[in-house]
Amino acid sequence: MATVADPGTAVKRPPGAAPPVWNRRRREALAGYAFVAPDLLGLMMFVGLPMVLSLGVSLFSADGFGGYTYVGLANFRQMAEDTQLWQSVKVTLTYTVAFVPIGFVVSLGLALLVRDHFPGVGLVRTMFFLPHVISLVVVGIAWQFLLVDKQGAVATLLRPVGLGDTSFLGDPSLALGSLVAISIWFLMGYNMLILLGGLKDIPREYEEAAGIDGATAWQKFRHVIWPLLRPTSFFVLVNSVVGSVTGLQAFDLVYVLTQGGPAGSTSSVVFYIYQQAFTFNNYGYAAALTTVVVGFLVAATGTMFGLTKGGRFDAG
Amino acid sequence: MPVRLRAIVGYVLAMVTVAPLVWLLVAVLRPADELFDVTLPSRLTLDNLLYVLTEVPIGRYMVNSAIVSVAVTVIALVLHSMAAYALARLRFPGRQVIFSMIVSTLLVSLPVVLVPLFLVAKELGLLDTYAGLILPAIFHAFGIFLLRQYYLTIPRELEEAADLDGCGYFRRWWQVVVPLSRPVLASLAVLFFLANWNAFLWPLTATRDPELRVVQVGISTLQGQYGSAWNYVLAATVIAAVPTLVAFVLGQRRLVEAIKTSGLK
Amino acid sequence: MSAFERVTRRSLLRGGAVVLGSAMAAPLLSACGGGDQGGNPKELTFWNFYGPNPQSDAQSKWFIDLVAAWNAGNDVKIKLHYLPVSEYLAGRALQTAFSAGQGPDIFLLSPGDFLRYYNGGVLTDLAPHLKPDQIADFENGALDTRKVDGKIYGLPMEREPLAVFYSVDAFEQAKLSEGDLPKTWEQLLDVAGKLTSKDRFGMLFETIPGYYQNFTWYPFMWMAGGSAVPENGGPGFDSPAVHNALKLWQDSIAGKIAPRKPLGDGGTDTPANLGSGFAAMQQTGIWGVSQLAQSNKDFRYGVFPLPVPEGGTYTTSVGGWAFVANANGANPEAAATFIAWALGANDAEGIERGRQWNTVVKANLPARTSVLEAAKSAGAFDDPALKVFLEKVVPGSRGEPRYTPEVYKAVSDAIQAAQLGGADPAKAAADAAAKIGTFLKGYKGAAML
Repeated sequence: MATVADPGTAVKRPPGAAPPVWNRRRREALAGYAFVAPDLLGLMMFVGLPMVLSLGVSLFSADGFGGYTYVGLANFRQMAEDTQLWQSVKVTLTYTVAFVPIGFVVSLGLALLVRDHFPGVGLVRTMFFLPHVISLVVVGIAWQFLLVDKQGAVATLLRPVGLGDTSFLGDPSLALGSLVAISIWFLMGYNMLILLGGLKDIPREYEEAAGIDGATAWQKFRHVIWPLLRPTSFFVLVNSVVGSVTGLQAFDLVYVLTQGGPAGSTSSVVFYIYQQAFTFNNYGYAAALTTVVVGFLVAATGTMFGLTKGGRFDAG
Repeated sequence: MPVRLRAIVGYVLAMVTVAPLVWLLVAVLRPADELFDVTLPSRLTLDNLLYVLTEVPIGRYMVNSAIVSVAVTVIALVLHSMAAYALARLRFPGRQVIFSMIVSTLLVSLPVVLVPLFLVAKELGLLDTYAGLILPAIFHAFGIFLLRQYYLTIPRELEEAADLDGCGYFRRWWQVVVPLSRPVLASLAVLFFLANWNAFLWPLTATRDPELRVVQVGISTLQGQYGSAWNYVLAATVIAAVPTLVAFVLGQRRLVEAIKTSGLK
Repeated sequence: MSAFERVTRRSLLRGGAVVLGSAMAAPLLSACGGGDQGGNPKELTFWNFYGPNPQSDAQSKWFIDLVAAWNAGNDVKIKLHYLPVSEYLAGRALQTAFSAGQGPDIFLLSPGDFLRYYNGGVLTDLAPHLKPDQIADFENGALDTRKVDGKIYGLPMEREPLAVFYSVDAFEQAKLSEGDLPKTWEQLLDVAGKLTSKDRFGMLFETIPGYYQNFTWYPFMWMAGGSAVPENGGPGFDSPAVHNALKLWQDSIAGKIAPRKPLGDGGTDTPANLGSGFAAMQQTGIWGVSQLAQSNKDFRYGVFPLPVPEGGTYTTSVGGWAFVANANGANPEAAATFIAWALGANDAEGIERGRQWNTVVKANLPARTSVLEAAKSAGAFDDPALKVFLEKVVPGSRGEPRYTPEVYKAVSDAIQAAQLGGADPAKAAADAAAKIGTFLKGYKGAAML
């Protein structure tokens, strides 16, 4: 099995016998390509190719019925004067700046809380994760009921403190905040699980050693856990940023809960792109916006990688 | 924090977290004409659940979702683990470039590439097939990235011991790396399963055949033109959540067990 | 592992094929319309949103029977394809299919979406398949928003006018009677204020942005004398009439007598809002009659026409979906023949089919005189609510307008900004008018009505 599987061995060794080091490297490289190839090709096919098509379409004006007219960079020029686009950029930035740090701190807090055993810890972990078990669409429906004006469970609970008339999803100054809160509720268990995986990998001895040296809980966290957890944290953060900008919570929740309203206060960039494509048939413009957003994200995460050496944080 | 305090904080927060879901459950057990009432239900009934179980082909929907979710999860775990191993451990020219390319695909989300992806699926003859539901869902950089981060932390010595035994790369991956990564694979299996079980937009777009309808699309067919039968919609939701809950509870337990036996300590 | 290698090679080949295929077939990057439809001219697909469902089983059956009756006597067969209604209204699946050249042969279309598809060149003229008396059978105005240059691009299956539903119990609790039903905007706000309590809103207007919200707001704009696009030399959207209509909705929210976020599906959903006691009055369509009959049997309610502003003329919007045929489909002729038969035939069978749809499986007003007469003789309008719709709501009404998505969005933004964002109605209207003006300068499609 191994000889079939490992492409390295499938390569006939030249009769002259190359130096072993060269041979080993070559074998390793071939194995590397073979291991990466299936995923890489799949990604090229189902993500890369659609992206390239999208890039192509961004140079056209599309009518949504198969008609395309070449317009050069007109779609990109249109963005500058599109006030609604900039409004939606503001919405996405606000959402991201609120969701990413708060969501991360909450998830990390939960992960630390349920890291070690206490009676029923498994159940507690499950309960934190439970919101994520249900589809985002249904989460939206449930919260729509809970947050309804006057009669909703949340309004009823808050009536004694004088907030019974607050409209969490209908007031433009509150709707985005409600969306952030629901997103955190939905995703905190998910990120907790990933962070928990990272925490479990940190050898206990390190912390115990620090404890013997008289370190406080905070010092242990700051000097032992935090540095060793960085690759996982980095991953969670990158994932949160991407999710906030183009991911499902940036779209599905808005789609189910508010349709971009009230008064445009939750119209995120990805929702705006979606509207351009499916409400206005402006596939060309939508494709151009997609290109810019993805380009921006590539640059942003590329920078983050550069600064952190691929998320490895070797320097500690 | 002392154990007792941690436990209490944990219980309280956990209760708050699931409160909205408890509301959902109570709503499902309400008589239909009390669904919108603020007060506690006058009685509990299984009518809504029974209706969905008997009058809606939800079993069929769930079988479809199960086929798709399990297939995606298994194939994705194998492929992603292989790719991640190579990206973390094997040296080959262009590795960094390939990794960057893979990671950059994280930034593309479905709503924005729906139309071109539909075209690709159409050209491949994938519309209205299980393959069409499964293949595009497999390839996602999330799992590769997470596994690669994980593999970077596996001590090299373990792998080198296998090397001394004369193992090829495939056996090193299969016999050393995969067993070591059981905990993270278990977590990923849960996440993949959930994501695919709850998928809606792509299955809706890629299939027309009612025989291929997955559970989330099936639920949405319960919504009406002017107003929905919310009691049934919510009941279907709860039924559809059962397998994901089971998957998580199983995965959660395995995760803890796997950590005990993984030899990482 | 070897299996994966095989998959890999196959994917590679397929990948190459896709790249080549899309470059050559090029529905993507060429200017040719339509693309490859590749449908079967002997089997036409009919997309609709009346799948079997707890609330529309009878409607679903009507579609199944309709298609069965056609298939029994014709070579070209029709096959139904259901989409979840929320998805159909959002248009994703339908739009994706059309942009990939895979649009259905027959589908349902509302006036709000008419121009998008008409201007896209995918609608077939049905007039050649209809006799003059069949065309004349359609009620006044029922065909207007489906016609361009005398050609008929869709046949409406129903007429759905908007009015206000009110809860008799809520009126009694507030010590109000039928004599207090509001006739003017001022009275509407006043009565709604009296009906508002700790856990009930007096009035409900739709708050979710979308085609439906616009549809429900247009009557107020028209009654005040305004219009979205300049009509008959009128001023267009930035006019005092529009400001007043925006202000009415704004006042209802600012006065806390209407919700910012209603229950369930919102404005269309009477059981969730009116029936549950959440709202005492609700602006909605004729479908509310059958909704309440189904979900809230013992609920006491009444219906009255939309109140009129001082010095205004009464009107309301009448919605309703139409069957349309895809001009790029596999067999547009057969699709058009089917539609003309299904909704245009004025023989006994055709009239009975229309009566069933409009007054038995669903509560609408029929779009055709012959069907309306048949329904009247069958006693369909003995129901007091439907009687009000027929006698008081519909006279003077206007069909749901067909605007392009750009005009719809500009108006929608103005409604949202004024109603929920608290913006000055004059400013919101001026912003929208500017956008509409810019758009109209470059617009070459069919007339907006």
